[in-house]
Amino acid sequence: MTAVIVADKLTRYYGARLAVDGVSFEVRRNEVMGLLGPNGSGKSTILRILTGYLRPTSGSATVAGFDIVSQGLEARRELGYVPEDVPLYTNMRVSEFLQFMGRIRGLESTRLTAAVDEVMERLALGRVRTWLIAKLSRGYRQRVAIAQALLGKPQLLVLDEPTNGLDPRQIIEVRELIRSLARELSILVTSHILAEIERVAHRVAILLDGRLLTVHTLSEQPGASVRLRVRLRATDEAALRSSLQTIPGVTFVGSLPTPGCYILEGADGPTSTVRALVQAGLAVEEVTSAGSGLEELFLRLTESASR
Amino acid sequence: MFLTLLGKELRALFYSPIAYIVIAVFLVLMGYAFTMTLFVSKYATLVHIFFQSAGLLFLIVPIITMRLFAEERKSGTLELLLTAPVRESHVVLAKYLASMAVVVGMIALTGVYALVLGIFGTPEWGPIYSGYLGLALLASTLVSLGLLVSALTANQVVAAIVAIGVSFLLWTLDTLAALTPTPIERVLISLSLLARFTPFATGAMYTSDFAFFVSSTLLALFLAMRALARR
Repeated sequence: MTAVIVADKLTRYYGARLAVDGVSFEVRRNEVMGLLGPNGSGKSTILRILTGYLRPTSGSATVAGFDIVSQGLEARRELGYVPEDVPLYTNMRVSEFLQFMGRIRGLESTRLTAAVDEVMERLALGRVRTWLIAKLSRGYRQRVAIAQALLGKPQLLVLDEPTNGLDPRQIIEVRELIRSLARELSILVTSHILAEIERVAHRVAILLDGRLLTVHTLSEQPGASVRLRVRLRATDEAALRSSLQTIPGVTFVGSLPTPGCYILEGADGPTSTVRALVQAGLAVEEVTSAGSGLEELFLRLTESASR
Repeated sequence: MFLTLLGKELRALFYSPIAYIVIAVFLVLMGYAFTMTLFVSKYATLVHIFFQSAGLLFLIVPIITMRLFAEERKSGTLELLLTAPVRESHVVLAKYLASMAVVVGMIALTGVYALVLGIFGTPEWGPIYSGYLGLALLASTLVSLGLLVSALTANQVVAAIVAIGVSFLLWTLDTLAALTPTPIERVLISLSLLARFTPFATGAMYTSDFAFFVSSTLLALFLAMRALARR
């Protein structure tokens, strides 16, 4: 599979502070890659380097085969970028802004008109096409920002915290949009919200303090294994953990930071597992699906890395 | 592509009320100065107008240039602009030319005074032409300097104050020169905007003065591009 982004040992200092420390990863064609990490872990800096806004202190990267420094113009033609705070020219009207962004992306006359109409239809911006951007809600601004990034059909879409400041309905819309766009292009998306990344990405790169801890593949999680998050009444955590390891059908016990909360992994479904827990004399207070295991992985990695 | 950027900059300048207010205040003050001086001296000359215009340009140009990069950096649109496939040199030149269009247009409107002198008197046209050329060249240096300072900060007020300070220092360097030994004196006078502008305002044009304004403009624009590229 061809890689749209190849980042090789990207490093960036802000003065004496190391913001990105030798990060290497690839984003494949038609793949949604998530960058996950706490605030200040270097996610936005990596995006700014890949989109040409910042120069790497060392290391290199290519976008669609073009070096981001020596072939910056060509690389930037192949990507669309939505920065975190959705900066837009608020004194322009929506259609005027999209035409401006289309022109600086090299679109002219009929191609420009067609491209602007297409992204406006896709992002449902028809109703506000003549509105001043200053008058738009946060949700519409986000749509306009994504629309401009799609002009000229780039191979790569880069989204920095795309659901920040949106209401639940808008978050769902953006999520659906990312899923539908992934059929046409590659997407690199950052978030500090684990559940968001988990829902849209194929693979997730976990970052902490500028370092890449691991790249986790979400779509390859074994479907056969059932993962449950349980909350049990606990007085002695060590004894509770030992009891859990003896429960029939449970093959893995993972601790969570909240007392009495564990991840249980095994071949049995929730009914059998809960029955086994109750039969072992444990007081079950809550059982939920533990999802893909990303949360646990993230906690484990960030905890051990920060020790 | 460059024309698109230039159009965007012109629109931004004329969308904001700052350009209109600045032009209006400039014309009111210049009109007042022209009328008063004409009634008092009765001479058909614009020399005093050129010096007063130059003095006002030191305050007005930084107000026009302060937002060029500082505003875009603060609002984040600079990130949007520079991650699009545009050349940094085009961005800088578009901002320079758009600001020059406003300043030169503003200066050109004072051409009405020359017309008044032409209708009611017999002015010497040579010093008037050279005076306007001098004002345009001075404006070019001040605009590029203001643009450079704006490229170095995200704060518009800081951009304006620093640009006013540096411009004023360059204007008065010849006064400082009088207090320094000969070799330094020569250097300071050659860098003084007042010393370079005075011949133009009084009807004398020297290639060296012309070259000074052009080269200082090019140097400031080059440094602005470097400042923008150093990210």
